[in-house]
Amino acid sequence: MTVSAAKSTKAREALALWSATKRKTIFAPLLDTFDLLVRDRFALAGMIIIGLFLLVALFGHMIAPYDPTQTLRSPDGGLARLQPPSMRHWLGTTAYAKDVLSQLLVGTRVAFIVGISAALVVGFISTLLGLLSGYYGRYVDDIIMRFTDFAMSIPTLPIAIVAVAILGSSLRNIIIVIALLFWRNGARIVRSVVLTEKEKVYVQAARAAGASHTYIMVTHILPNVIPVAFLWMTMSTAFAILAEASLSFLGLGDPNTTSWGQMLNIAFTTGSSRTAWWWVIPPSLCLVLLISSIYVVGRAYEEKTNPKLRKA
Amino acid sequence: MRAYIARRLLQAVAVVFGVITLMFFMFRLMPADPTTMLVEQGLSDEARQALLEQWGLTGSMAEQYWRYLVNMATGNFGSSFFYQKPAWDVLLPMIINTAWIAVPGMLLGALVGCALGIRVGWARRGSATERAGIFLATIIRGVPSFVLGIFMLAIFSTWLRWLPGFGMGQLGLTDDFGRYFTSSFFLHLVLPVATLAIFFIPENLLLMRSGVVENRGEDYIELVRAKGVSESRVAWHAARNSMLPVITWLFPALAETVAGIIVIEVVFSWPGVGRELVLAVGRQDYPVAQAAFFVLAVMIVLANLLADLVYVKLDPRVTYT
Repeated sequence: MTVSAAKSTKAREALALWSATKRKTIFAPLLDTFDLLVRDRFALAGMIIIGLFLLVALFGHMIAPYDPTQTLRSPDGGLARLQPPSMRHWLGTTAYAKDVLSQLLVGTRVAFIVGISAALVVGFISTLLGLLSGYYGRYVDDIIMRFTDFAMSIPTLPIAIVAVAILGSSLRNIIIVIALLFWRNGARIVRSVVLTEKEKVYVQAARAAGASHTYIMVTHILPNVIPVAFLWMTMSTAFAILAEASLSFLGLGDPNTTSWGQMLNIAFTTGSSRTAWWWVIPPSLCLVLLISSIYVVGRAYEEKTNPKLRKA
Repeated sequence: MRAYIARRLLQAVAVVFGVITLMFFMFRLMPADPTTMLVEQGLSDEARQALLEQWGLTGSMAEQYWRYLVNMATGNFGSSFFYQKPAWDVLLPMIINTAWIAVPGMLLGALVGCALGIRVGWARRGSATERAGIFLATIIRGVPSFVLGIFMLAIFSTWLRWLPGFGMGQLGLTDDFGRYFTSSFFLHLVLPVATLAIFFIPENLLLMRSGVVENRGEDYIELVRAKGVSESRVAWHAARNSMLPVITWLFPALAETVAGIIVIEVVFSWPGVGRELVLAVGRQDYPVAQAAFFVLAVMIVLANLLADLVYVKLDPRVTYT
């Protein structure tokens, strides 16, 4: 009794200490919103789903029952083509006699690699350009914003199709192309936050106290930009996963990897998508679940950070 | 105002110019020039040289670029390797085909999306309507267009056998616009248009809803309500003011929507520009790929231009200089 009481006081002290220190980092607003998100039921469900997918992405190749590229034979010796779900193949097999479940598990990793790496690049570029553009204003702003306007009017998927076809469809190229497409809206959003933030009195005070522009940008403005940039990165993850899946579905995915979009491409081009439901439904469902979960979390996050949308 | 429109037009031209330049460099980034694959098929050196000249692939980069600009300005996209006829002649009928699904699909999606958005935005905060509306919209927004298409195809075409899902069906025999008005064509139109509309609804719904939610607390709404008009008329006041952000977002969103159109064309084997782009890339038929990309880019620039001009008309508060 006393031991547990002592323990809980200790825990509380530690928590207080931790929350006192976390205020100091530029990620403090993120941690605060995380607390809020956990309290939102939809957002919590979304985060749990994303977490489960992440586990599959990390360990999927270990639990996959077969090699996803291996051509399988049934016990009678024939090729195990288009077999409906059974005990041997929980999600059946493809027209090329591969195990659907194994492809599905291994494909999860591609979605995460593409989503996360593209989002990181997008976050970096949009924060940098948005900061510079919003903070320095005038001709810097003009140049960056005209460039952004131009980038905004380029059709996303067509240029990705052409670029991937020209550069070659490796996973790396796909990530680069996607990242170069989605920074544009992010830069604008970050810029608008910087514009309001830099007019605040404390920035002028810091300036009067002799702080350099770089110092002000990094220590004063950046922390206020982080939540918005992070929101855009969250959304970009979903866009990137969607873009990779679309490219793969169109037959322009990395031929050396197994991804959900590619599974659907093969199911569709072999004409099996009309009958082999066990081959089509799992990757479709995974894409919808993962992308929607990211949107749900992003949306809840937006509601928390945008006071105008907050519940009255 | 006139100056604004003139500036906006100039900007559109500049963007098209930028896209053309981007295209020039992208298509020249190709590891090998397109004749290499023809050489393997036993092309003589002289013939190859002639082809290179024909495609404007000889001379210095600056010369090539200049010739390329002249060709673009005169609408000469070169000759398709695959169809053996001018790329433009290949694409022209496909532009009409794309418009047949793009325009009705997007209008329908915008209309239904906005109507639902007003409904959800006006519902009591935290009510079942609001929660369900937002939840469903967010889920449907996460459905990739090809997944949607494959399932529409499987359900309505294969399983229920209600609608065809492959190509455009039987067209009329005449060569003019009237040939599209056959029942077979319209039946084939239903699934792609419906898919595009569903793909387009959630974004509109969410934007409209945010707008209505932001507007419903404003004083002028209280004033309208105080006048004693019906609740739906009050909602309409908030909705009208929420349309502006929808319109500004709608058109740039086109850049993303084009992605949906390409994929839907592929799923339903609809012979449009988007599907042709994918096919041309696969066939390494780069004059057609280049032209298709150009057409899609110009479509977006035009739509953006249109959005800005409509905005001028709609929002009297904004002054343009």
